[in-house]
Amino acid sequence: MKSSSDRGAYRACIVGCLCLLVTSALAQSNKTIIGPSNLHLHDGANALKSGDVEEGIRLTIIGLQQSASARDRQAGKSNLCAGYLMLGQLDTALAYCNEVLSENDQHWRAYSNRALIYVKLERFADAEEDLKKGEAISPNAKTLKAVRSMLLNETDPVSPTIVIDDRRSPPENSDED
Amino acid sequence: MKTRFRGAAVLILLLAAPLGVSEDNTIVTHFTDDTGERMPLQTMVPVYPGRALADRIEGEVEVCFNVDREGRTSRIAVRRSSNRLFEKPAKLAIRGSTYAPLPQSEELSGIKTCRTFRFLLDPVAIEVPGEISVDVEP
Repeated sequence: MKSSSDRGAYRACIVGCLCLLVTSALAQSNKTIIGPSNLHLHDGANALKSGDVEEGIRLTIIGLQQSASARDRQAGKSNLCAGYLMLGQLDTALAYCNEVLSENDQHWRAYSNRALIYVKLERFADAEEDLKKGEAISPNAKTLKAVRSMLLNETDPVSPTIVIDDRRSPPENSDED
Repeated sequence: MKTRFRGAAVLILLLAAPLGVSEDNTIVTHFTDDTGERMPLQTMVPVYPGRALADRIEGEVEVCFNVDREGRTSRIAVRRSSNRLFEKPAKLAIRGSTYAPLPQSEELSGIKTCRTFRFLLDPVAIEVPGEISVDVEP
């Protein structure tokens, strides 16, 4: 038979353990990261975005040599794919995109970049396939929409027509049958 | 129904004036008739919305508005529209359009004027230069 002091100590121990669990979970969920995890990759991406492609590629390559996480590595390679694509070096760009997608087949940015490479290489069926995969992962991605539009311009070009109709009752299509 | 429209076609002096190609390569056609209250003077062509073009969306908007004595448009409202993307360019086009001023002898009617804009996409046939067409005999 446990004494009342033993019971109290037991209860205090359980409460303490629960508190520890909650504190540890909170500590995990509130983990604060100050600044980018890989500065070179971060600056490289910004340089690419601003159009300084050579500098963007240089920084990204340095960043990739230092990158620890798979996510950073994939982002870096995807950005290199985009960078070489901007330089018109399609084969190099394609190789980087392929590398990303062989590591992670859910990387919609790599699908988007590779689809654009395929559009430029006139491999329209391959572009379509990558766009479908990318759109399935990220249906609202603007870049995917832009590439889709570029593909359509190649495979299904259209010319805008505007009809201005001031008639009170525009006649219906009266096909004689 | 067809007979009614055929009859109307006899009564209406239909002017289908292809305005040609605008600066952004948009083909423009303007249909008008003499049954309207006011005659258009300056017709602004709406811009085909970039997003609609990219997503291959066609549509139609009917806009109704008042025209004052001087031929200026006001109280522009969309009466019906197939897609909201086309409403803003249609309203802007009406805002930039004018009608022939009303002669002093005529009284201004309170009837609204309406205009329908159809935004269409025509397939473009591209001919590859130097491509040889070969007929194969079965």
